[in-house]
Amino acid sequence: MTEASRRVLRSLVPVICPPEGVPLADAIIEHMELQIGVLPALMRKGIDAGLVAYDVGAMPRYLRRAHKLKGDAAERYFAFWEHGLEPQVQLARALNQLMSLACYEQPSMKAALGFFPEPWIEEVRKKRLTVYADDVRRQDEQILAPDPLRPVRKKEVA
Amino acid sequence: MPRVMETPGAARSAAAVGAAAVHEGAKRPRGVFTRHDIHGDTVLDCDVVIIGSGAGGATMAAELTEAGFDVLVVEEGSYYQTRDFTADTSAMVRQLYRDGGATIAMGKPPVYYQEGRAVGGSTVINGGMSWRTPEKILDRWVKAGLDLSAKAMEPYFERVEKRIHVAPMDAEAIGNDNKLLKKGADIKGWDVIGNLRNQAHCVGSNRCAFGCPTGAKQSALVSYIPRALHFGGRVYADVRVERITRHGKRATGVMGRVRHPDGRLGHRITVRAKLVVAACGAIHTPALLVRSGFRSPSGRIGHNLSMHPNVKLIAIFDEPVTGWKGAHQAYQVREFQDQGLVFAAINLPPSVLAMTFPHRGRALGELMQSYDRMVLAGMLCEDTATGRVRTINGHAQAFYQLADADAANLQRGTSLLSELLFAAGAKRIFMPFHRVQELNSPDDARRFADQKIPTRAWELLTVHMMGTAAMGTDRTAAVTDQFGQVYDTDRLVIADASLFPTPIGVNPMETIMALSTRCAAHVIDNAGRLLS
Repeated sequence: MTEASRRVLRSLVPVICPPEGVPLADAIIEHMELQIGVLPALMRKGIDAGLVAYDVGAMPRYLRRAHKLKGDAAERYFAFWEHGLEPQVQLARALNQLMSLACYEQPSMKAALGFFPEPWIEEVRKKRLTVYADDVRRQDEQILAPDPLRPVRKKEVA
Repeated sequence: MPRVMETPGAARSAAAVGAAAVHEGAKRPRGVFTRHDIHGDTVLDCDVVIIGSGAGGATMAAELTEAGFDVLVVEEGSYYQTRDFTADTSAMVRQLYRDGGATIAMGKPPVYYQEGRAVGGSTVINGGMSWRTPEKILDRWVKAGLDLSAKAMEPYFERVEKRIHVAPMDAEAIGNDNKLLKKGADIKGWDVIGNLRNQAHCVGSNRCAFGCPTGAKQSALVSYIPRALHFGGRVYADVRVERITRHGKRATGVMGRVRHPDGRLGHRITVRAKLVVAACGAIHTPALLVRSGFRSPSGRIGHNLSMHPNVKLIAIFDEPVTGWKGAHQAYQVREFQDQGLVFAAINLPPSVLAMTFPHRGRALGELMQSYDRMVLAGMLCEDTATGRVRTINGHAQAFYQLADADAANLQRGTSLLSELLFAAGAKRIFMPFHRVQELNSPDDARRFADQKIPTRAWELLTVHMMGTAAMGTDRTAAVTDQFGQVYDTDRLVIADASLFPTPIGVNPMETIMALSTRCAAHVIDNAGRLLS
């Protein structure tokens, strides 16, 4: 992703993320880059091109690029894209989704919602291996056990 | 000079693009090879090469290795183990989902579909629902001439259910979101059943969709793949098959490239085999056949795509739900199954849930404050429309247009599901549309059923793609015979959901595994012809 694209994304953090996410802008953008990196090639190119169009598209109306817009102007411009032509709508949706995902992947955002999956996973993992240890072992053995209903062997059919 | 690989090497490299291969450096089971083991163009020989390691491919691999055949499984995704599955949702999506889960069937509306790309395939990321093909569906297939009656399929279902430990949930693992779903169904007097899932004492980490971190879900990764390895099978992960090689109409093996986490393709892999099994799923199997130059007398490769379009509703309750503690989809509401609708409660971590809202900024923050009080409910629709997988420049692209009748059914189902959630105590419900619609009472839910909703307004997703190389007895209408052998070809078998002649209206994993078991039995019974 180009530095210009990053600038546009950074300018969108206050527009898309809740206020408590704004100080996390760098981490959010970094996360978005990772996520965009695994998207289908066509989609990646579409986002790259869309960000350029979004940035430049602010010029006629605001006489400056989108990444320089602040506050209400930034908000109004994004809303304009959200309700614009189909490609604009698609880009705005994609950015909203990717940035929301990145925002709520930040540890402090998850913690603020009381979402602490790691200790829960650890707790139930231990429970499974203690309370149900015998059943778990039996299933593990069953997976590898020869099947008495499978008598046909290659050497027999050859 | 191509080399024949026999043992894993020790090379390790840092993965790029954040798709860190967390298994690097970890000990792998004997028989599992990854990109780190392939140091040059490589040629491999085997009896049977299986493309894909999901529900169809892994099952076939285990059945054939146990019967004594030399089986090699080629998987595009990487190899992960249970210990690699963490609470880092985005990392799991990047590693386990094809294209980060952002795959789309084109149409109005588009349908977002998701496929696993890892050893174990989509069984690594599915919810583990394990249901036999409904009898009404099997009857339909029997009427089409297939020998797939419930009685004929019984031994295959039994075999699969034993292997992947299909069982009801332990009561203590059921979370509040599912209890609320059941409560709503009970109040409405609707049929609700405990889900059967492939799990050995699921303890409700609720991470099914991101790789089960406790090992309770008996995905192919922890069931059929270890079994195949135990009986001598080999699995080559990180290898993307580019085409099936052939000599005339006879499949002779596959050619592929090592695939790196950043998508780069590396060394060439050639596998020479007596039999080729395609099990890449209903999107990629037809594309692979087409780009390998195979043609069906019916001209139906890639046609007949069914998707079971799903929609989701988000309900907010007054009381804490904490849906992330408890088993995924512990119940299913089957009251409307004969009308093609099944309801269930799901849970998503905050990041993925936040993606589903059109809200942003302060409004998103305020809404997400209710995360702990949210229930996400989903609905599966047995569709009547069929789409198509086209192969464009060698790549699979799905096209699917939601039928008006299916859209009407979805609308009715959404209204009914909303009624259920209000009965359970929901205060607000967010509907599955681009321009979000909110319901605030049961009356709203009933009125919603009569609204005019444009078909294109629906937000649809699915993990059930089926039917693109359908089996049938008429070679002018189907792609394969009833044992998955592709018509007008030799030594080429399909063993995945592509085979389904019609959608099945329930979660397809067990049907795929049972059909694959049946196809494997046919291969074993006809080994003299197919594997000579």
